[in-house]
Amino acid sequence: MVKTALEDFAFLIPLLPALAFVITFFFGRKMPSGGAIVPILAIAASFVISLMITLGLLENPGEVVSQSYSWFAVLNIGILIDPLAAVMLSMVSFVSLLIHIYAVSYMSHDPGKARYFAETALFTAAMLSLVLSDNILQLFVSWELVGLCSYLLIGFWFEKPSAAAAAKKAFLTTRIGDVMFLTGIIVLTSDLLKLAGGFQDGVYLLRFDEIFSYIPQLAALQANILGFEVSHLTLITLLFFGGAVGKSGQFPLHVWLPDAMEGPTTVSALIHAATMVTAGVYLVARTFPMFIAAPDSLLVVAYLGGFTALFAGTMGIVMNDLKRVLAFSTISQLGYMMLGLGLGSAIGLEAVGISIFHLINHAFFKALLFLCAGSVIHAVGTQDMRELGGVGKVMPITAATMTIAALALAGFGIPGTSIGTSGFFSKDAIIEAAYLFGEHSNNWIPYVFSIAAALLTSIYIFRLIFMTFTGKPRSDYHGHESPAIMTIPLSILALFALVFGGLTKTGFMSFLEETFANSFVNIDIGSLAVIGQNELVEAAGHEPVFVLWLPLIVAVVGLAVAFVIYYLRIVELGPIASMKNPIYRLLYKRYYQHEIYTEFFSLGIVYGVIAFFSQVLDVIVDSIVEGIGILTVGASEELRKIQTGVVQSYATAVILGVSLLIILVKLIMEVL
Amino acid sequence: MENLMFLAPELAVVATGLIVLLIGVFMSPQTKNMLGYLATLGVLAALALTIQSFGTEATMFFGTLSIDALSQFFKLVFLAVSLIVSLASIKYNENSDHTEEFYSLVLFATFGMMVVASANDLILLFCAFELASLATFALAGFEKRNARSLEGAMKYFIIGAISSALMLFGISYVYGATGTTSIPMIAENATLLAENPIGLVAVVLLIAGFGFKMALVPFHMWAPDAYQGSPSVVSSLLAAGSKKMGFVAAFRVFIVALAALQPDWQLAFTILAVVTMTFGNVVAVSQTSVKRMLAYSSLAQAGYIAMAFVVMTPMALTGGIFYTLAHAFMKAGAFIAAGAVVWMITSQKTGNLDIPDHLDSFRGLGKRMPLAALCMTVFVFALAGIPPTAGFMAKLVLFSSTIQAGMTWLAVIAILNSALSLFYYARLVRYMYFLPPEGKKIGMPFPYAAALLLAVAGVLAMGIWPEPFMQWAMDAAQVLI
Repeated sequence: MVKTALEDFAFLIPLLPALAFVITFFFGRKMPSGGAIVPILAIAASFVISLMITLGLLENPGEVVSQSYSWFAVLNIGILIDPLAAVMLSMVSFVSLLIHIYAVSYMSHDPGKARYFAETALFTAAMLSLVLSDNILQLFVSWELVGLCSYLLIGFWFEKPSAAAAAKKAFLTTRIGDVMFLTGIIVLTSDLLKLAGGFQDGVYLLRFDEIFSYIPQLAALQANILGFEVSHLTLITLLFFGGAVGKSGQFPLHVWLPDAMEGPTTVSALIHAATMVTAGVYLVARTFPMFIAAPDSLLVVAYLGGFTALFAGTMGIVMNDLKRVLAFSTISQLGYMMLGLGLGSAIGLEAVGISIFHLINHAFFKALLFLCAGSVIHAVGTQDMRELGGVGKVMPITAATMTIAALALAGFGIPGTSIGTSGFFSKDAIIEAAYLFGEHSNNWIPYVFSIAAALLTSIYIFRLIFMTFTGKPRSDYHGHESPAIMTIPLSILALFALVFGGLTKTGFMSFLEETFANSFVNIDIGSLAVIGQNELVEAAGHEPVFVLWLPLIVAVVGLAVAFVIYYLRIVELGPIASMKNPIYRLLYKRYYQHEIYTEFFSLGIVYGVIAFFSQVLDVIVDSIVEGIGILTVGASEELRKIQTGVVQSYATAVILGVSLLIILVKLIMEVL
Repeated sequence: MENLMFLAPELAVVATGLIVLLIGVFMSPQTKNMLGYLATLGVLAALALTIQSFGTEATMFFGTLSIDALSQFFKLVFLAVSLIVSLASIKYNENSDHTEEFYSLVLFATFGMMVVASANDLILLFCAFELASLATFALAGFEKRNARSLEGAMKYFIIGAISSALMLFGISYVYGATGTTSIPMIAENATLLAENPIGLVAVVLLIAGFGFKMALVPFHMWAPDAYQGSPSVVSSLLAAGSKKMGFVAAFRVFIVALAALQPDWQLAFTILAVVTMTFGNVVAVSQTSVKRMLAYSSLAQAGYIAMAFVVMTPMALTGGIFYTLAHAFMKAGAFIAAGAVVWMITSQKTGNLDIPDHLDSFRGLGKRMPLAALCMTVFVFALAGIPPTAGFMAKLVLFSSTIQAGMTWLAVIAILNSALSLFYYARLVRYMYFLPPEGKKIGMPFPYAAALLLAVAGVLAMGIWPEPFMQWAMDAAQVLI
């Protein structure tokens, strides 16, 4: 049978890019164009396998690919390709393939290109293995590995101090999230061991189906934190979400993502737009049954996601750096995806569908936006929009494809029909779900956030388009259209940004809803929602017409505003967009996060305290010990010879320690 | 007649030590290099004999020696360290006049540690403890023209003597109350000691005696000086090997013999574990000598392992025992790597000759000695507990057992400590890879390379395929319960 034969090759999906990493790492330097052909072929093969498995799944969504091997004790390594994993695998391998092809030309002048291709191949392998993990530990290991690759690639030009600093910042900031994620896994493991009654042979405790089967018991465990009774499940899911906040650049851990733009643009497109940053969204979607059964968790996700979408948008409209605008846009769109998942507290499993739908569409148009920006930077040599202008004349293909991506990001389309860009269908689905949520729970905050963010999105992206491609050149540059090896990936992505959403919108959602009902797991989301005290909407009514049209209206308004200010230049922005205006300064300085996080908190408090104690403790202990030594020995002449003096005080410390320990133990035993 | 085959690993080590000492007298300094290979082979043979004897259980010499899963596991730890150290010492002793003395001391120290692992009687335990200590005192001061080495050895010796006295004092109380020195017999009569107020004093005195070897705060004062001053190969033996001798002795004496006094020593270890790991990590941050930093990191690691005494569940003991082997590979390797750098600085005669293991010597090591830098990176990442290394597995098991036992506060302290430790470990990696080198590329001597690769293999094997090691550790923990 063809299908079984295909499953047997599933392990090759992450393995081939990993092999490509090894080959490129050792021999890339001796090969033409840094050995790029090896990862390209490997990833192409991964893509073909992923796509064929996905097509097989589409015909028969109930029969998922699931293979597990014992690792040690109750842990296993394994592969799970269900609808959720299948679409992610296809998207990741496809986008990665296109970006690798594009990078052959983009990186052609860089002496370190062999290292570049080795690292991106390793990244792709880790990302694919993250997606197809069938247990939370393997997912975490891959999670760390993609983080490492991201660190290496942000600091790819490590001789630039700003790049090295950005890499460090990204590593440290995401690490805060990673520690939370790991803590969540540890709590989960210890709970599961308790519930399962210890180790059992042949049971893989951390595999998702096992975890999900314990959800009711986990929800029943209560912990007392600061006086609040919290369900263990809420604790675990919020810790997982903490990991997702770090990885997916949600407020307040988003600060690393704009700085991550110090890496090559292709890296920004691959890692910091299309794939790695969506790992947090994927994690929440993957463990969605846990989130929906945990009281309050999804609300936190929804609020934080909606807030991030709006918050990042406000900073996007004042940035002057092409890539920074796109970075804030990415944060904002990731906020939408999180919001979509959070709305699951009202719309149930459909939330996974709309959120992942937006994730996939976003991957296409955001990768396209970055690659177009890369094309401009490659040709013109600057990424400051104030020095650009009129680039559309010299780079028509880039301008056209970037405009398509912008339309998709702003969400242009005709409501009620199948005509529209990809972003239109998925973003509107989230906004409509937010409306439904508002109607259902009388809580309109997510809806207001999402509409306001949609307006800002439209303004900042068309500001970017007008400032870059129209008008007269504002500096002396010599541009030329990029070679075909760069423009062909652009055109392919543009095609997807334009039609993918419209073609797949109905099938996609119903396909993803099979994720938790198949041969691997079979979960009744409705009953889990009851455990989590989430009331699901029974039957969705028809939204009023204005709800369907409002997102498009704000997008058009945004376009009009940008057109008036940045194309016609009727309104003079001088006094408003100056550092004298406190609001503009606040936005431009990104709400002073750098000052607050790095200079005040990290350097001032944490580092200061540690450095202080590290020095002081050493001195204090030494001086106490030596002081007592002086008293005990009583002969200061002896102390002149430091050696003997110190040894005596060392001995004093030993005796003192013994006495103190006896007294302490005795005292505590008496008190208890 | 006792079946001496049970003692085959010990006998192999002693025989090799004696042979090396004897034939070394008749050799010229140029040919003495082969003694290192001979010693390595002897240790290798003992290692093979130990692994082959896994699963045997026996008591010998009127119940004073016990061969069981615990003793065999710790013999594995000591022999693994000894193997790495002897291998690396081949380079260290090149053209030395005292090669035979060096190796026989290493082997006798190893022998002492192995007997401690098996000792089932307090007197034998004490004698073996002293054998290992005396041999390591001499090793610590082996560079007799190096003031720093002599100073470290001197401090180590004096504090060691005091600790031995305290330990003997503690043993005498135990003997006085229970009337026996045999560990199983003490266990039967331990209630006598528990009812006696002097029981607490005996426990604390014994903790001080073992704590000296384990380097728990405040019995650690000698360790930074000795680890920094000693030749790196000896520091490696001290930190990775003889430190574990304290642990195995404490495992047997407290958990088996003095189980009746568990509340006392559990509390004492709680205090010591928390203080030790925090002190070690905090002070390590401000060190500029890498060997001194490793010494403080070694304190912190001892603090983690001591958590096993606090939690006391089978899983925690498994984790603690697993950790000793993991730590043996990581720490032995890290000191050998530092030793390779010291060798580079002194043989090139450039850089900071006064403190050759200064952080500045590690600048751009990734370019100067790529292998040493790569191995060092693996070791410090393992010490920090980053997967897929032995350190990660050890911490995972130990910390999760702590949470499982309901001591979340202790796990939180330990995890915060691990997070802090990443700071100084990562700093070392930054020096090696992100700062420009100060000097040219140096070829790596074969003995150092072989020893480092051996340790790396151990660290990675235990991290990626921990199943067999975990099983051994679990069997060893069974002996204690």
